[in-house]
Parts: sequence; structure tokens; C-alpha cells
Amino acid sequence: MTTETQHGSVIVMDRRRGKLRAGQGLLQGLRVVWDHWAGSFRKNDNFSKIHGTFTVEYPEERLPMPQAYRNMPVLLFDDESGHELCTGCYQCQRICPPQVIHITQAKDPVTGKMVPAATEFIIEYDACMSCGFCAEVCPFDSIKMDHVYELSTANRAALTMRKAQLNRSISYYTGIAPGLWAEVQAGAMKKLQGSIKRRPDVIGLAASLTEKIKARRLELAAAAAAAPAAAAVSAPAAPAAPAAKLTPEEKAAKLAAMKAANANKGAAPAPAEAPVALSPADAKAAKLAAIKAANANKGAAPAPAEAPVALSPADAKAAKLAAIKAANAAKQAEAAPVSVETAVATAPLDAKAARLAAIKAANAAKLAAEQGNNE
Amino acid sequence: MLKTEELQINIGPQHPSTHGVFRMLVTVDGETVTDLKPVFGYLHRNHEQIAEVNTYLQNMPYTDRLDYFNAMANNHAYAMAVEKLVGIEVPERAEYIRVLMVELTRILNHAGALGFLINDMGAWQTQLAFGMREREKILDLFESVSGARLMCNYFRFGGVARDLTADFMPRLKDLLVAMPAFIDEMERLLRENEILLQRSEGIGILPKDLALAYSVTGPVLRGSGVAYDIRRAEPYSIYDRLDFDVPVGSVGDVYDRILVRIEEMRQSKRIIEQVIAQLPDAQGGHINPKARQNVRPPVGDVYARVETPKGELGFYLVSDGSSRPYRYKVRAPSFINLTPLGDMCRGYKVADMVVILGSIDIVMGEVDR
Amino acid sequence: MPNVSADDLRVRLGRALPGVVQEVYPLKVAPPPAQGHAPAAFVTGDTLVDAARVVDAALYLRDVLGYAYLSDICVVDYLTDGIFEVVYRFYNVEGGPSLALKVRVPRENPVVPSLTPDWPGANFHEREAFDLYGITFVGHPYLHRIYMWDEFEGFPMRKDFPKQGDKYIGEDE
Repeated sequence: MTTETQHGSVIVMDRRRGKLRAGQGLLQGLRVVWDHWAGSFRKNDNFSKIHGTFTVEYPEERLPMPQAYRNMPVLLFDDESGHELCTGCYQCQRICPPQVIHITQAKDPVTGKMVPAATEFIIEYDACMSCGFCAEVCPFDSIKMDHVYELSTANRAALTMRKAQLNRSISYYTGIAPGLWAEVQAGAMKKLQGSIKRRPDVIGLAASLTEKIKARRLELAAAAAAAPAAAAVSAPAAPAAPAAKLTPEEKAAKLAAMKAANANKGAAPAPAEAPVALSPADAKAAKLAAIKAANANKGAAPAPAEAPVALSPADAKAAKLAAIKAANAAKQAEAAPVSVETAVATAPLDAKAARLAAIKAANAAKLAAEQGNNE
Repeated sequence: MLKTEELQINIGPQHPSTHGVFRMLVTVDGETVTDLKPVFGYLHRNHEQIAEVNTYLQNMPYTDRLDYFNAMANNHAYAMAVEKLVGIEVPERAEYIRVLMVELTRILNHAGALGFLINDMGAWQTQLAFGMREREKILDLFESVSGARLMCNYFRFGGVARDLTADFMPRLKDLLVAMPAFIDEMERLLRENEILLQRSEGIGILPKDLALAYSVTGPVLRGSGVAYDIRRAEPYSIYDRLDFDVPVGSVGDVYDRILVRIEEMRQSKRIIEQVIAQLPDAQGGHINPKARQNVRPPVGDVYARVETPKGELGFYLVSDGSSRPYRYKVRAPSFINLTPLGDMCRGYKVADMVVILGSIDIVMGEVDR
Repeated sequence: MPNVSADDLRVRLGRALPGVVQEVYPLKVAPPPAQGHAPAAFVTGDTLVDAARVVDAALYLRDVLGYAYLSDICVVDYLTDGIFEVVYRFYNVEGGPSLALKVRVPRENPVVPSLTPDWPGANFHEREAFDLYGITFVGHPYLHRIYMWDEFEGFPMRKDFPKQGDKYIGEDE
């Protein structure tokens, strides 16, 4: 290593004693100690002073901790709504170096699906190293570092904290770290709203807020009472239908119908007089069916006209066939290059009518066949 | 002539002067030490195997606990090692903040180490109390920026965890006003003190060639006259832009090491002043925004080292491509600096042996890991 | 600042001490994963040296090249490859980056000549390697355990040492 670099040199410490007589060094040192002792009667209130006392008479006097101080994590819940911010996403459990966090995510008792809340949240305070990683990594700003340092207890088991003991209100946290909360408040509250929407029943409400839980339960009960009345008014669509699985043909018919409906929304008022070359009988039946459908639509609840009323496979195939026929006819009629969808779109009512006509035709055929057999 | 026998006595592991749980098997002939064997492992926590089970980020708080006196320096070495392995760049402002923290650590380590050495000499806690007062100021600064006084956990891969707070700079500037007064006062108390000179001049001499052969580093090596400082020998971070001198001793005894440590505090203050002046112009933020903390380094190995206040702290990492280290080795300065303890103490008195151990400045968290 | 590269070192060692430098072969490091492709093999850039002649190589570095500062001796347990790799790291007193010598010994019988009689700084490093990995350093003046107590059985840092459930740690810890 070179002795002289451009940024500094090597200096050999000078051991040479100063011109002090024997014993003077001790006196010099005593002078230093005397200065400190004399200065200790005044208070040292500034970092730039080296004399003076800055004793804090703990426990009568306590120093305020800086905002960033971290010791032991706590969970936050919103004062207003009573909901806990924690969604049970396991990020803090994954990152915890000594692995002292144990989470159980909440499940909807009715459907069995996971709910963004935590039923149990355990932190072993006696092994927690207060590194702050859980607070750093939490995407929902629900676990934060507290400022408590007076945790001594003779009961080791009492240091395993459960969710009820870890819950703190957000107002508590703004009391100890206002700046840190202000940075993340907007995002955290927005995410909380999203979580609340997906939490059924009273899941996610802090357990200590018993009044809020009672109030919410009453609210839900009232809503449940009102719901059956509302349900009776709605269209008598097959209640099991939405959940039932559709066969591929039914799916195709539904898709064609949906496409027709979407095009209907955006397209110009469908010209019922679109030059679609349907066979005369089909056109007449289609017109009749269209009128009937319009009448039905006026009176009934807004149940989707394209609701997958359970079509038998044969009928569905017939409907699909009719729709394709209509589309092809439209394509041939109009020389302009029009896609099948737009062709269908230009004659939506006609397509619907065509399908209805196909259904009617099929039913009529079946009836005729039965009658024919009976005869 | 009376028939005498050599006596083997056990100093430690529970002993107020052994700087932690440290045991020395001393063979004495009367009051003179003829042989000394250091025995440690009482604080062995298997840190290296814990690190193989944790991911790279989860290891960061554990590095705090190695040399628990200087948490920031340990974090720095580990962060540098992982950044070198993965190839993460550190923005300029983050480098300046890092150097600031590490140099503050150097001041507080030397303030404490000299205090403990004077305590070992029998002067009780006079200098230690003065040194602790300055340490408290610096620890308050650490607390306001990282959240904890000792176990800072402040460095991340690609920078530091949080930027400096608004009240950090004014307090730091106040502290730097007090610093020359503190160091000068310490010199006045110690440098010409007859008792200290008697207890430390010519005690525990480690000659230059032996110092290098024993692989010692830090103030012990520089006290023996070898001008090897990693910040100059293999500059890392932004040390190649900063002006500072490297103090060395001439004889290699305890007195030289005291003088070297006092001068290093002055140089650290000089570095901090330069950092404060250059910090406003530094580019970038407090962390590289593209750096992922859950790193998955490519297969390979790396060795990164820093000049901590006690010597060379190095991390040797071997990665197998997963998110956990395959091998994680800590090259601890205090551990290796203990190698010449036996040779340094031979021929001196038992009381000198305590002083020599104090002058090496060990911390058992590092020695035992 | 002096900067001898690893290739340079191989050439010079090859000339001065023939037969010492060995060909570097790739290491698998970790066992191949159950799914997906295995990561790349580890081919080190440092100099691989014959275990029996490591002392000669180290002294060459110190006396001829001036790399008189031995920083670290580290042992890595490559369980899949069946070897222990001992990494010796040297620095030049004038400064500059390190030069590393690597020695590979089989796991069943790891024996390496000790550097301590010629280089006292290797003392604690070799004791640690013996204590935690079980490598015998022939010629070490005091090869006893350094961290674990003397009657301890087993070598804790080896990859096949159980992390739980051996006779020292109970099943439930």
C-alpha cells in the first residue's frame, strides 16, 4: 500500500510525550474529570455539549420514542367500520426470520371459500426479534411495529399473543407514528374497502368491538328478512338454472344469443325489414314469434330473455342450425363482405325469431310424431 | 531456592474483564504468564447453519447479532456480498448514507472499546462513562432512522431500508460540533497519563512480521506498523472519493493501539464531514428501486469484506441457484485477532494479560458466531 | 496495486511447482430438483491445487508473489459431489483483490496438510474446519475442537448432520 495516495496518507502515531513534568499527566486527567463533575449540575439538552447531565428519571419520566422505533408487532383495525385490516395473506409468516407468526385464514362457513380475513393470528413475543420485516412486507399495512418495551413478565406462556391481544385501533397507531401512517393511509383504506366487500357475515370485525358486531348481525338479519320478499317479485326463472352446467350445444346457443344481445346494444335500431332471404313460412313464423317475444318482454321482470331455459339437445341443435341458416342467408343476400356475427347482428330480432321458430317447429314436429304414433 | 511449580488457572468464562463469555487457560509461574490458551464457543449459536436455512433477506437481522456492538458494519458486509453475487447496483445516495452509518459506528465502537480498555486497567468507568455518553447520542440517531439502537437491520440489497429523517442532519451536525471536544478531552485524559503509560507502554508487543503472519487485522495490525486498511487497499463503496489518513503505530504495544484508535475517531469525523457536504448532490434514492429483496442468485461464490472497527469482516457465500445460501461463512475479525493472544501475553504479568485482551477489542458474538 | 489474476497464477505456479495445479472440473452443488431443470454447474475461476502440495503453493504465494496476508480458510461441503472444498484466500500487503487456492478432498477421508507450522495465522481457521466439518489437518500443533465441547460427537456443519432429532437436540426442538 503506497504511503501517499491522492486522498490521504499514512500517519505514524507520535508517541513522544509533551513537555510535562512527571505527575502532570495525572493532574491533567483529573482536571478533565473535575470539569465533568462541575458541569454535571447543569442539564445537557443539546447534542453539541459534552458536559452536563442528561439523566432521564425513568420511570417517572419517559423519553418519547422516535416514530421509526420498532419493538413487537401489532395488528391494526379500523375504528369506524371495526374491520381488521389483516386479510390472512401469509406474507408476514413467510418472511419472519425466527418463524414466530402463525396465521389461520378465515373461511366462509356457508360456501367453504377463503375470505380475506384471519381467524387466528399468533405471534410468539418471547422469540420475536423485532426486526420489522413483517411490517415492511405487509401489502395491506395491517401489521405494524409497536413501541412497547415494558413487556417483562414472570409467565412465559403469556407472551404468546393471540389476535385479540394484538389488535390495536388505527387511532392508537397514529398516536405513536403519525407520519408513517400518513404515508400509507390512502392505499390501506382503499384495500380495506375491497376486503370488507368480500367478507360475509361478521367475519373480519375486531372481536373486542362487541357492539359493532351485534349491530352488524342485526343489519344482516334485517337484510335476510327483506330478501325473500324481493325474490318473489323477480322473474320465475329456474333458480337452479344459473348454477346448472350447460351442454356444449346449449353453450353455443347461449353464446350466439349473447352475441346477438351485445350487438343489439351497440348497433343501430335493428331493421326488422333487413333483406334476409328467409323462406316465406319461416319469415311468417319468425314475425309471429317476434311479436309474441316482445309482448312477453314487456310484462315480465328483466330476466334475461336469453336465459338458458333448459333446451333439449335436439332443440338446441335445431336452434343453432336455424341461426346459422339465417346468417348464411344474410351473407348471401348482402354482397358486401360481412362477417357471420355482423350478419347475425344486422338481423338480431330475426335470428331470435328464427330460433324461436325452430323451437316451435321442433315441438310441432314432436307433437305431430306423437299424434301420428297414437293414431 | 524454594521449589516452585507452574500453576494452570482458569480465567472465565464468567468474568467481568473477559469481554463476554471467554475463557483463558493460563499457565503462570508466580505472577508471570508462561502460556495462554484461549477457549471459546460459549456463545456459539450456529449462525452459519441458521443462515443456510433462511433466505438471503431473512439473514439480514441475524448479521446484526454477530458483532452486536457494530450492527451497521455487519449489515454492510453482508449486503455487499449479496449485491456482488446477484449483480445489484447501489445508488449513490444510498452509498453515502451507508458510509455515514458505518463511520458513525466506528466512532461509537472506539469510544466504547477505549472505555472498556481503561476499565480493564483499573480506572473503573470514568472514560467509559464519557464514551458511553457520545455513544448514546449516536445510538439515538440510529434509532430515529432505523428503528433500533443496536440491532439496526438497516441495510437492504441495493441500498438502505429507509431514507434519513428530517431531524437527522441537524442532530448529526450538533454531534459533530461536540466530537472534537470529546476526542481532545479523551486524549488529554489518556495520552500523557503516567499510570496509563506504565500499564500500556511496552506491554503486549506484537512485532510487524508476526502481526502479518498471524493474519490480524484492524487497529491491532495497524498498531504494529503495517499500514493495511481495506478502505485503501481494496476500496469499496465510495471510499475512493473521500480524504482520510490511516494511522499506524511504530512499536505494536497496547499504547500504540490506543493512539491508533483515538486517531481513527478523528479520521472518521473527517469522513462524516465530507459525506455531509457531498450528500445533497448524490444521485438516486435510498435504495435501488429495481432491486428485489427476495433474491435468487445464480450459481457461484463470492467473498466480500469491509473494514469494521475491529478489523476485516468478510462474508463468503456460495449459491446453488435457490433462494437460500448453500454456504455462508463469516470471517470474523475478533476470532482471528485472538490467534496471537498466547504469544502476546507470554512473559507478562496476569494483570497485563487482561489489558492485552482489552486492547485487541473482541466481541464474543463474532468470535463464536 | 498489484493484481495477479487467477490465470496468471496458474501459469506461474505451473512453472514454479509442476504438478501442483489441477484442472478445474464443474460441481453440481445442489441435488437436481424433483421438477424443472437443474441449475447450471458451478465452474470456479480460482486455482485448484493438489491437496498434498497446498503448503508449497501457499508459501510460493507468500514468498514469491508477496501475498503475505492469509485472510480466510473456508470449507464448503458439496454433498452431491462427494467432496469438501477448502478455500484459502490470500491478499497482497500492498493492496488489491484476492487470490484464492482451492483444495478438494473426498468426504470419506478428508486429510489436508496443515498450514499452521509455516503460517501461524491458519491456526484457528483449521481448528474450526476440524471442529465443524471433521477435516484432519496433518501437522497442526493443537488440533482440538474450538466451538463444540471436547466430547462432542459428530461434525455439525456437514450437510448430512441432522438438524433435529440427534442425541443432543431432542425431536421437538
